[in-house]
Amino acid sequence: MNESEFRTLVEESWKRRLTEEERAALDAWLAVRPTERAEWEAEAALNRALGAMPNCPVSSNFTALVMQAVEHEQAQALRESTPASASLWARLLTYIRLPAFRLAWAALLVCGIGIGLAYYSHQTNVRHDVAEGLKAVANVASVPSLSDPAVFEDFDAIRRLAQSSASDDEELYMVLNK
Amino acid sequence: MATGPDPDAALMLRVKQGDSAAFEELVEKYKQPVMNFVYRTLPDATEAEDLAQHVFLQVFKSAHRYEAAARFTTWLFTIARNLCLNEIRRRYRHPAESLDETYADDDERPMRQAVETKTFSAPESMLHAELEDKIEEALAALPEKQRTAILMCRGDEFSYEDIARVLECSVSATKSLIHRGREVLKQKLKPYLKTGVWKEK
Repeated sequence: MNESEFRTLVEESWKRRLTEEERAALDAWLAVRPTERAEWEAEAALNRALGAMPNCPVSSNFTALVMQAVEHEQAQALRESTPASASLWARLLTYIRLPAFRLAWAALLVCGIGIGLAYYSHQTNVRHDVAEGLKAVANVASVPSLSDPAVFEDFDAIRRLAQSSASDDEELYMVLNK
Repeated sequence: MATGPDPDAALMLRVKQGDSAAFEELVEKYKQPVMNFVYRTLPDATEAEDLAQHVFLQVFKSAHRYEAAARFTTWLFTIARNLCLNEIRRRYRHPAESLDETYADDDERPMRQAVETKTFSAPESMLHAELEDKIEEALAALPEKQRTAILMCRGDEFSYEDIARVLECSVSATKSLIHRGREVLKQKLKPYLKTGVWKEK
């Protein structure tokens, strides 16, 4: 081993543990070189110190948060890629593709179906009431006496009698008592 | 040192095709190395975690630009380093603002809503804890390029060529940065390195 090979081994030791053969060759070379030995020992100690540095703390949900951010990024990219002239339906479909919106869409769908059913039921009831009313009118119209015009011959006179004032009644009373 | 086809590059190509599962796999695999790197560049656990998450988000957003010719880790740490540098510059210009304000336009993004407070694993002894603090301090005091080079050089994940690419300098300049940084560390940690606390595994 020479000085150059020693330097190469020192550089190698920065990145990996030396092999047994390399260590043996190094030890043999350093045995008669106290200066280089001291240098090597300092290098080896620093290698060990750097190698023993602990890992930094990483949250257990690190990957989940990154994936969430990626999902958000994809959603934003989708929004941006949708042209301004795109129809409302195209935009809605874009949102539907996102998992976060699926639940909301499902809830909205259930509400929509519920409101639709309630409205249908209300309409059915209204139709039923109208039919009942028409049926009653049809029954009155079907009374035979009402279809005869003679029934209405004295209608105006009878209506006027109903509209007579109290003074007329008093006048009639006085005439009758004379 | 990586040889042969890069399995992460294959995963990244799947991400490019819109495969979320492949992306999740990459996040799971590299969250700790990225977090270590970011934390040691911005020594603030909460903000470092936010920034580490943004590193992965940036990876996802830039997936369409990824070319399989580049090693995934080199690309990942280039993004991590650039975001860290941006954050350092931003802090220098606007020291009162937090990282949340920087990403205010992403207000719907739930980045910090469930961040848990954690502490480092309990050290074996007070001495060991003190030594760990000293080395963290010494690293933090290094110029950014030296620190990045030393942190990336700790394991066999990166070749000197990879580190050089991330630092945007030559391999010889990278080795020089590592050498100078290590000299500073050896000087600062001299009394501690001699204690023998860091034993050979």
